[in-house]
Amino acid sequence: MYLTKDEERIYDGEMGWAYQVSMRILVKLGELYGARRLIPVESAHISGVSYKTVGDAAIDFLKALVESGGKVRVKATINPSGVDYNYAFFRALPEDLLERQREIIDLYEMMGVDAVLTCTPYYVEPPSCGAHVAWAESSAVVYANSIIGAWTNREGGPSALASALIGKTPDYGLHQPENRQPTILVRVEANLGSEADYGALGIHLGKILGDRIPLIQGLHGANETCLKQMGAAMATSGMTPMFHMNEYGAEHNKSLEKIAVEDRDLVRVYEELSTSDEKPDLVFIGCPHCSFDEIKLVSKLIEGRRIREDIRLWVCTSRFIRGKAEDYVRLIESAGGRVVCGTCAVVTWLKNFGIKTVMTNSAKTAYYVQLLDGVKASLSPISECINVACE
Amino acid sequence: MAEIILRGRPIVSGRARGVALVSSKPLSFLGGVDPKTGIIVERGHDLHGKSVRDVILCFPHGHGSTVGSFVLFSLAKNGLAPKAIVNLVADPVVVVGAVIANIPMIDGVDITKIRCGDILEVDGETGLVKVCREG
Repeated sequence: MYLTKDEERIYDGEMGWAYQVSMRILVKLGELYGARRLIPVESAHISGVSYKTVGDAAIDFLKALVESGGKVRVKATINPSGVDYNYAFFRALPEDLLERQREIIDLYEMMGVDAVLTCTPYYVEPPSCGAHVAWAESSAVVYANSIIGAWTNREGGPSALASALIGKTPDYGLHQPENRQPTILVRVEANLGSEADYGALGIHLGKILGDRIPLIQGLHGANETCLKQMGAAMATSGMTPMFHMNEYGAEHNKSLEKIAVEDRDLVRVYEELSTSDEKPDLVFIGCPHCSFDEIKLVSKLIEGRRIREDIRLWVCTSRFIRGKAEDYVRLIESAGGRVVCGTCAVVTWLKNFGIKTVMTNSAKTAYYVQLLDGVKASLSPISECINVACE
Repeated sequence: MAEIILRGRPIVSGRARGVALVSSKPLSFLGGVDPKTGIIVERGHDLHGKSVRDVILCFPHGHGSTVGSFVLFSLAKNGLAPKAIVNLVADPVVVVGAVIANIPMIDGVDITKIRCGDILEVDGETGLVKVCREG
């Protein structure tokens, strides 16, 4: 790999250990994937924030970076944590969890990271179309590449952090135009209605695609929320970093391998992901974190009703979006729902809240909570979720 | 004492000599290795209950969360890290872990030729692994 004089000096440790180790991460990954150089990035988005998922090991490394004077050189944001400190029920979590979680967030902030604590940083500040970025958080990677048109590989937490400190990323994979072309054609013949259907489609596709990039035909009238759900789910069951879409019969490379998706494929996903038909303990909207429009929709669905005493409703988003949607938030909260910020059902300690069944409109959540927390789940459209949550 | 030389690709430089701990299964560091004890705790893993401390850890590749890299750093900080890592195929989680923990690493090695208990000499500059076996 070719390094500039400046990059070499950093590699050799002249700027201190934090930058040296970050540069080594980027160079080793670049060598592994055949990159010839580093390219500047506009921003980095870092995963590995929730103490539930990263544990003590992350604290050791972050501390070492801070102690050696590491500071981010480009705009850098972080994923959700395990706690919303503004709610008493989160503050009632065990003391050591609260402290360690706080410590992780503080360490990132000491390096100059913007603690947006969201998996949808693009609602806070979207990257420019065509910009190279280094993003972790698989759902945001798919969204950036496919919907915004920013270019990123599917980074891990450590490599995104290294890119934040160096301000660069190795030039391989999705940073090169030839690797962004579709390699498989997907014809969706299934009937798609709600965002949950799109999530189910995403889970199905992720299993088939591996890391291939699909051109998807037949997503008539899918709105942004639906595409966000589909992308997040694809990245959950598979490694797909982006998708393309167009209409039936539109121009495409005739030599592409073709697959079709039928109604029964989605039915199978719903059956797999819905392991409970009992009353849920938690109704959860906001994986990936809600947009302004989704908060507004939840409030419209709740208007004039009350959340049942025996069910919790969490609507998860960033503090930024919560602030913008204040009026809708007030309506949701006065009906008994909670607009929770900086965390979500996947990265907090559900078991500590006595939650055994989760109902959600997110296929990604339905997939993960069963794996990570051993709780039961059911997948339904947002309107159905809110109906169940209300008296 | 029989000796064979296996040829791989250098990933992280450094030399080490130690006892081989070999698995045919991918290993997840996050949740799979306890950073406070160095013990492999991944459920159903054939090395379950074994310590990675001071061994030459040979396994096909990593799997699981990218944050697993941090576990290797903590192991090194706690004096519990393997002396070297030998993989069949390097994957980003293990590569980044070996880089930040400064553990010599080689990939592209046919680890089926290595048995638990063999004495290995790993050269992270040349990518060579010398296998020494009793008898």
